[in-house]
Amino acid sequence: MSSSQFDESVVRETDVEVEAPVESGSDVAWERTGSEHEIDQPSSPSSSGYAGEGGSTSATSASSLIEIQRDEIEEQMRIHIDEISISDSNASWIPGKRHQDEDDASISWRKRKKHFFILSNSGKPIYSRYGDEHKLAGFSATLQAIISFVENGGDSVKLVRAGKHQVVFLVKGPIYLVCISSTEEPYESLKGQLELIYGQMLVILTRSVNKCFEKNPKFDMTPLLGGTDTIFSSLIHSFSWNPATFLHAYTCLPLSYATRQAAGAVLQDIADSGVLFATLMCRHKVISLVGAQKASLHPDDMLLLANFVMSSESFRTSESFSPVCLPRYNPSAFLYAYIHYFDADTYLMLLTTNSDAFYHLKDCRIRIEMVLLKSNVLSEVQRSLLDGGMHVEDLPPIPHSGPSHLGQHIPPSDSPERFKEANHDTGGPAGLWHFIYRSIYLDQYVSSEFSSSISTRQQQKRLYRAYQKLFASMHDKGIGPHKTQFRRDENYVLLCWVTQDFELYAAFDPLADKALAIKTCNRVCQWIKDVENEIFLLGASPFSW
Amino acid sequence: MGCGYSLPDRDSRQLGRPNSENGGGQDAKNLRVKLVLLGDSGVGKSCIVLRFVRGQFDPTSKVTVGASFLSQTIALQDSTTVKFEIWDTAGQERYAALAPLYYRGAAVAVIVYDITSPESFSKAQYWVKELQKHGSPDIVMALVGNKADLHEKREVAVQDGMDYAEKNGMFFIETSAKTADNINELFEEIAKRLPRPVIT
Repeated sequence: MSSSQFDESVVRETDVEVEAPVESGSDVAWERTGSEHEIDQPSSPSSSGYAGEGGSTSATSASSLIEIQRDEIEEQMRIHIDEISISDSNASWIPGKRHQDEDDASISWRKRKKHFFILSNSGKPIYSRYGDEHKLAGFSATLQAIISFVENGGDSVKLVRAGKHQVVFLVKGPIYLVCISSTEEPYESLKGQLELIYGQMLVILTRSVNKCFEKNPKFDMTPLLGGTDTIFSSLIHSFSWNPATFLHAYTCLPLSYATRQAAGAVLQDIADSGVLFATLMCRHKVISLVGAQKASLHPDDMLLLANFVMSSESFRTSESFSPVCLPRYNPSAFLYAYIHYFDADTYLMLLTTNSDAFYHLKDCRIRIEMVLLKSNVLSEVQRSLLDGGMHVEDLPPIPHSGPSHLGQHIPPSDSPERFKEANHDTGGPAGLWHFIYRSIYLDQYVSSEFSSSISTRQQQKRLYRAYQKLFASMHDKGIGPHKTQFRRDENYVLLCWVTQDFELYAAFDPLADKALAIKTCNRVCQWIKDVENEIFLLGASPFSW
Repeated sequence: MGCGYSLPDRDSRQLGRPNSENGGGQDAKNLRVKLVLLGDSGVGKSCIVLRFVRGQFDPTSKVTVGASFLSQTIALQDSTTVKFEIWDTAGQERYAALAPLYYRGAAVAVIVYDITSPESFSKAQYWVKELQKHGSPDIVMALVGNKADLHEKREVAVQDGMDYAEKNGMFFIETSAKTADNINELFEEIAKRLPRPVIT
């Protein structure tokens, strides 16, 4: 961890401080969602995207095509927006394709806030988040026309802005990916999401699918992706709740050091017997993982693999053996994955290059299961799930004595620093609501539990979007890199601090005091250092550096 | 045929596989058999297996990814037991090229179609041909018309299934995983038809 202290004077000199006026009496919930909008800076990453990189002639013609579309969408959006906000905030999310009956003529289809499309370079639809791909042939052809029009001019289209909508394009050989979004996420975030969707497709098919297009440019790829709707819809859903999708890091389930060691030791044992990667996961969090020598697993591959497994119900029914491709490891070849659920949440993935290895891996699993049961790993996992991770309310004061542990629920103290405000009786000291800490050299992050001020899915999604924007601006090559950033708007105070070793993103009550917030961030860093044994998977394996 | 029994060949290839799992091993009284289910997606392969192994039926369709592995042991009247090691494969097109991974070394192939879907019946015929070309030469094959409870929607006549099976030396049965009709019969009949190892 960096020895540097985060202090106010540093912030004053280097940060981008944006204090947006608090809108007085902002009327409805929808208004607040809308208030995420970008503070209009000439250097904002999204506005520079197209104009800077595309040709101006093609930009005009391409955007005018979109323009027509946009007017219609917007008109209908105004009418139906409330309906959507309500249906979007459903608490429990079930994977699977929605609104299969819609097509581009449906009003409801047009008012969706975020569309994702995969199509072929001949304009054939491959996947659409909403609606039936086959009915969207005309729409796909239009997207293809835009892309090839610009390509014919020796250029490539990356982003078209049309009022509230951004249309982001990603070309991957014969596969085109397009996002049409009115969510005001930065261009870089949306592009990253398209990259992940493409990666998910590779997990299922590998890059060798390109050969089908070489043989037959009019190749229809939809049958090859039969039955994979839930995998894509669950990935797209995770863009709004899983910070791994923009941090490019993975997260661990909090566990005592000894418990994680016990799991790691048995995985290491079997990794020495010809297994390429052995990972024990609880939902999307890592319990332990081990790679064979020199093999490293990219966090994005882990994200896509975990999504693939968790969104495919059949893995829960019985042990399975499935071909799977890790795009960052080798996009052209399948590995073979042995997958087994120990309970509803905990599952084992053993990856190998040997397609005959099933019975060997099954034996490995039996050995692993025995060790996990003997050393109570599975029950500790369930306990950790119940306890949750780091609660901002538990942030220890500085200085503090003795090693701290997670799960020691410290009653709220009456320290003078404790943020007091009649309406905001929840959260940590100084109005701390939430934080994410990303360790750069571990490729891991830890995210605190949400305080009760951010309890609905809608609020959480909005905060992640705000972090996402912060992340994009911190990493923007044009104006960055920044070391610190302090932003205040009507929803939160957001603080970001980037050093060589870590990145900290923290959200505070919008009325939080700046100096106190900064002090609190230092305490968070100290706290993480104190409990790093329990929240991170440390050293031990030749993994992911 | 007895000694050419296709099972031990897989065992010899798998590293580190204890031959004595479940006290089994191969003897004349306790057979262990690799069985693979093939057929178009959505015909009910997984439902047949889950009905046979766990006695369950889940009407919500869960797409199989890759292949699931389950096992079930049955006792026959002649006091032999047969342990089926079942590979329930995914029916999606993208897995077709990978099917040999699962049917290689299989002693039994159960090829399933949906009696309400002529396309799935053609797909079944594709699998029969594929196995005749690339499967074990002494493989026992069964042709199964599933969803027999949906007789009002039937589009593949019983006679068509029977004729095709007979022409190809297969055993034929219509089942319903939903009502459990003929599920146990299917596996019992397969067990009876298995070549028995010759005791020397």
